[in-house]
Amino acid sequence: MLATEQMSRVLIVGQRDLMAPVITELQRQRLFHIEAFVEDEREENEGFRIGVPLEGAGETSERLLRIRSITAAFSVRPEDFSPAKRVRESELKAEIEQGLPAIEKEVKDLLSGRTDLENRGKELDQKIEALAPFADMPVDLALLRGYENLTFFSGYISKKLEPAVPHDSFYSETKRGRLLVLAVPAAYRQDIERKLLDAQFQAVPIPDEEGTATERMDEYRAQREQVQTELAGISGKLEDLRKKHSEFLVACDELLSLDAERSEAPLRFATTDHAFIAEGWVPTHLAGTLRERVLAVTDNRVFVADQEADREKDHPPIEFDNIDFAKPTQLLMDVYSRPKYTEVDPTLFVAIAFPIFFGLILGDVGYGVVMLVASFVLRRFLKGFEEAGMLLTVVRNCAVSSIVFGFLYSEFLGFAIPGLDSTLPSRHLNIGVTDHGYVHDPAIPELLIMTAWVGIVYITLGRMLGILNYARYGHGSHKVIGILANVGWIMVMWGILFMLWSAFPMPLMPDLTGFPAIIGGFSIPFIIGAVLLVVGTVFIVRESVLELVELPTVLSHVLSFARLMGVGLSSVAIAMVINFITIDLMIKPHLEQFSIIGVLFILFGILVFIFGHLFNIVLKLLIGGLQCLRLNYIEFFTKFYKGGGEKYNPFGMKRRFMED
Amino acid sequence: MAVEELGLMTLEMVEASQLGMKAIAAALAVSLTGFATAWAMQNIGSAAVGATAENKDVFGLVLLLTVIPETIVIFGLVVALLLIF
Repeated sequence: MLATEQMSRVLIVGQRDLMAPVITELQRQRLFHIEAFVEDEREENEGFRIGVPLEGAGETSERLLRIRSITAAFSVRPEDFSPAKRVRESELKAEIEQGLPAIEKEVKDLLSGRTDLENRGKELDQKIEALAPFADMPVDLALLRGYENLTFFSGYISKKLEPAVPHDSFYSETKRGRLLVLAVPAAYRQDIERKLLDAQFQAVPIPDEEGTATERMDEYRAQREQVQTELAGISGKLEDLRKKHSEFLVACDELLSLDAERSEAPLRFATTDHAFIAEGWVPTHLAGTLRERVLAVTDNRVFVADQEADREKDHPPIEFDNIDFAKPTQLLMDVYSRPKYTEVDPTLFVAIAFPIFFGLILGDVGYGVVMLVASFVLRRFLKGFEEAGMLLTVVRNCAVSSIVFGFLYSEFLGFAIPGLDSTLPSRHLNIGVTDHGYVHDPAIPELLIMTAWVGIVYITLGRMLGILNYARYGHGSHKVIGILANVGWIMVMWGILFMLWSAFPMPLMPDLTGFPAIIGGFSIPFIIGAVLLVVGTVFIVRESVLELVELPTVLSHVLSFARLMGVGLSSVAIAMVINFITIDLMIKPHLEQFSIIGVLFILFGILVFIFGHLFNIVLKLLIGGLQCLRLNYIEFFTKFYKGGGEKYNPFGMKRRFMED
Repeated sequence: MAVEELGLMTLEMVEASQLGMKAIAAALAVSLTGFATAWAMQNIGSAAVGATAENKDVFGLVLLLTVIPETIVIFGLVVALLLIF
């Protein structure tokens, strides 16, 4: 309870020829978190070297690379498949030996054929483009070249040119501008070139073709179409192959990945010439199973030792140990940091508090129902994504909490629920509501005090967990000082509260102003508060004088919980404004005076109503979620939690297509 | 009317004026703290995105650092609400 999984250090020692079966077994178990061996100068590491990959590692990697190139060409991902039945590794291996080379060749041929055709298509496109300007010319293009005494110019020109030399010209209007084809005697070539330059002539080469441009273009277009058909044929064949083989390929990918993972495992072991040592971590309650299985596959020829991790000295990887309800919240813990081995695991409290905070912010029955439905619908689409599933479970819990608090606040899409008074302080603001027959009266001071109470309780809880931390894992004088410092923080907070209660009457808080003054004009509660404050401060100072700087956080962190009210009020305000604009200003008046334009207004009003509220939900889901997270991370965790534990990541990838 | 001409104020006018002053004070409390928060978060936020780009693991930590200045505007809101209600 409130602690991470108890871990054991496991040592496996054996002859090198037993390494492969041991690795295979470890991979199958998915329990053993390998602690990588580091070659260094330390005495106990003398004589050990990092292991070398198992035989066949290179071949496996190469094959994996080839398979991945095919799956990339098919753009298939393992997530797209939900295998109906799992295959046995040995069977698939045989299939790979037989089937894979053929598939590979087929795909390779098709792909190279496709590339050739694509290049051919591009070539044709270029030719057609080069011919296009000459489409209007009724002359065989072969006639425009190969003369000794004639020079041809062709290109775009903005105005017509009348050179004072013997010439023949042809103009045509094309898409890119006016095309000029000019024939002059070769003797005037330089003269004409200068003139053309002045007229900003852009030369276009005359295509090296036989026949008129139109004829050639028609022929090339026909060829282009042919290429297109062939390409479609190849795509079709590839698609067929994809349909036929992609599941097999993905399974091969998994098999080879497993192989590669196995072959590379020795890189994390310590080895000598004849033996290997694998060191790692296993949850203590599973250490026995692991040992039995490893011994079984090696006929008791390896040595397996396990020892419970020492909470003070060891730094094992961290695996959460939570009840099912709190498990999805581990995701939120991982965003911050996993607990250290010597730390209380607060996941359970976060799992409870997070939805409550969220409900306090977005307490609205309508919004809660929308979120609940959304979380179930999204779950359908996001099957197979573990983290998304966890997040959706958190959202679901928040949605349920929203509905509950919606009833407590009496809110439905910003309206008051008819006939239901709000149990909690009312958040109904006075926004365009006078003609609904009731006048709202938001209880802001009460809301403020209510959120402050949430803060007081939660921060006290945090400090109590701090005490638990020291009580469990501290030692010596440090333990006592640490515990007292946390007690001191609680005393300071409650001392200030007592002093406030005795000075001011506040709603939702005990009123201690009535006590008579006795010593120096101060009443008993005030004196109790002052004593708590002073003694608490002394406890804090005993741990560290620097902590005095943190004293104002007693107030600021409690007041920080006012965001539960602030963000909540803003969501209520937006909802009420949407309702006012759409219902009171657009829909209602036009329902009373019916007209064609009125119908449009009503439809538009309904649209704004729907999208406005959806927008508000999304906005508050983000902001509310972030604020609740922050209240946990900053106001709660800073009291006792540091984090920084390494994630327990057992050796062995997850199998989806292979049998275990 | 006569009162206005004489440059005097009735009790109602004083009260109304006080209400207005309160409203202005509340607006200032929220808006100035809002600006302060925005300015602080702008700097932290850009640095945080940079840090996350370099190392994804710090996301939780920098998210936390980014939202720290929010407390300023929350205090502004508390003061404003206390002024009005």
